[in-house]
Amino acid sequence: MTVSRNKLTKQDINKMSLYSVIEQSCFSFERMQAAGFTLSMVPTFKKIYGDQKEEIAAAMMNNMDFINTEPHMATFLMGLIVSLEEAGEDREMIKGIKTGLFGPLAGLGDAIFWFTLLPISAAICCSIAKDGSVLGPLLYIGIWFVAAISRIWFGRLGYTLGVNAVSTISENANAITKAAGILGVMVVGGLIPSYVSLEFAKKLTVAGGVNVQGVFDGILPNVLPLGFVFLLYWLFKKKNANVIVIILGIIVFSIGMSYLGWM
Amino acid sequence: MEITMEITLIQGILLAIVAFICGIDQCWEAFYWFRPMVVAFFAGIALGDMKLGIQAGAIAELSYLGLLTVGGTVPPDPLMAGMMTVVIAYTTGKGVETALGLSLPFALLAQWLGIFFNTVYAGFMRPLEAAAKAADTKKFRNIVYLSVAIKAGAVALLTFLAAYGLQKPIQEFVNAFPKELIHGFEIAGNLLPAVGLGLLLMIMLKKENAPYLFIGFLIATFTSVGNVLPIAIAAIAIAYIDYMYDQKMAKAASVSMEGGADDDGI
Repeated sequence: MTVSRNKLTKQDINKMSLYSVIEQSCFSFERMQAAGFTLSMVPTFKKIYGDQKEEIAAAMMNNMDFINTEPHMATFLMGLIVSLEEAGEDREMIKGIKTGLFGPLAGLGDAIFWFTLLPISAAICCSIAKDGSVLGPLLYIGIWFVAAISRIWFGRLGYTLGVNAVSTISENANAITKAAGILGVMVVGGLIPSYVSLEFAKKLTVAGGVNVQGVFDGILPNVLPLGFVFLLYWLFKKKNANVIVIILGIIVFSIGMSYLGWM
Repeated sequence: MEITMEITLIQGILLAIVAFICGIDQCWEAFYWFRPMVVAFFAGIALGDMKLGIQAGAIAELSYLGLLTVGGTVPPDPLMAGMMTVVIAYTTGKGVETALGLSLPFALLAQWLGIFFNTVYAGFMRPLEAAAKAADTKKFRNIVYLSVAIKAGAVALLTFLAAYGLQKPIQEFVNAFPKELIHGFEIAGNLLPAVGLGLLLMIMLKKENAPYLFIGFLIATFTSVGNVLPIAIAAIAIAYIDYMYDQKMAKAASVSMEGGADDDGI
C-alpha cells in the first residue's frame, strides 16, 4: 500500500505557526514540551495524510520524545519537520534532525528572546510605567504580541529553507549572540541608576560631621547601587547563591538598616 | 494616613479571572501576559486603581527580570508576585515597594504549585501516547487542553483565596508592623531590582562586553534620560560597529590564508 501525501499551502504553514503558541502546554519534567510540540503539528499532519490513520499515528509518535527548546525555535523546527514529512523522508532521519537541533536552537532563541528582548522591553516599558503611565504596559503587551506573531516567520523559514537554514543560522548564531550581549549588558548598566536605590540616611555622619552618603556621591554618583549589583552578580556566579536566600537576605538587611536608622 | 481598601467579592472574582487568563499564558509563555508588568496592570484595572497596578507592575517586573530557571534554581512565581504586589499595596495602603517584599511568600507558594503540576503531568504522557498511537487526535487535543485549564484554574483559585479570603489577616498583620519594619520593606523594595539585574549579568556578562556595562551606567548617571531607550539605541549602534569590525577582520584573515586554502577542500 502506498502512502499518498497532500501538498501543504503557505496558508497551512501560517496556521500551524500561529497555533504553535500552545507549544508549551502540558509541560512535564519527564518529556518537557513533547505533548504541546506534537499537538501543534497535528492539524498539519492531518492535512498531509488525510484519512490515513497509521501515518498520522506514526508522525505523532515520532515527536513524542523528550524535547525542550525555545518556543519560537520550536515553530522553526515544526516548519522543518512538516516539510520533511510532506517530502516523505525517512522518519528516523527526521527524528535525528529534531533531536540534534533543539538544544542549539534553544540557546539561540534564549539569547534573542529571554536575554535581549525581555530585558530591553521590560527596561523601556518600566521606565515609562514608573509614574503610572498606561503607555508602559500597553507598549509591553504590543511588543510581545508582535514577538508571538513572529512565529509565522520562524515557521516559514523552517519550511522553505529546510535543513539548509540550520547552517545559515548556526553561522550567524555567534554574531547574533555577541551583539545581543553588548546590547543587553549596556541596557542593564543603564538600568542600575534608575531602579536600584541604595542611599544612606542624610543625617548619618561619621568622624565629626562627615556625611556618609556625601562621601560616596563624591566618588561617583550611584556607586553604591552599581557595587550592590556586582556583589549579587558575584554571589550568584562564584558562590552559586540561592535566589530565595539572597532575597530573604536583602529583606533582613533592609529591616536591620531601618532599625539602625542608617537608611 | 494610608488609605486601606477592601476587596469586594466581585473584585475577587475579577482578579481570579485575570489570574486564569494570565495563567494560561504562563503555561505557553507566548504573549508574556504572565509577566508582572501585565498581570499587575490587569489586576489594577480589576481593582479600579489602574495607576497603582502600573506602578506595582513596573517594580515587580524588574525584580523578577532575571529570575529564570537558570542553573537548576527554582525562581519565585512572577505572575503571583505581580498580582499580590498590587493586592497588598491596595488593601494595606502601603507603597508598592513595601508590597513587593510582602508578596514573596505568595510567589513562593505559586512556584511550588508549578513544580507540583510539572511533576504530575508526567502521568499524562501515558494516555497521550495511547491517543497518538490510535491517531485519536481529538482525545489527544482534549487531554492537552485539560492540562492547561487545570493549571490556570489552580492559579486562579490561589489568587482568589489569597486576595479575597486572606485580605483581612494580611491587612491586620501588616498594619500591626512598627514603622521601622515598614520602612525596612521599602528599602528592600528599592534593592530587589538588583536581584533581577544581577541574575541577568550572570548569564550575559563576559570579559569582552563588560566595558559596555559601564558606558550604559555612566550615560544613565550623568544624563537626564527619562527611560533607557536612548541607551538601547546607542548600544545597537555600538553592536553594529563591532559586527562590521569582526566582518572586516574575518575577511582580512581569509585573504592572508588564501595561499594554503586548497588543502582543506571537502
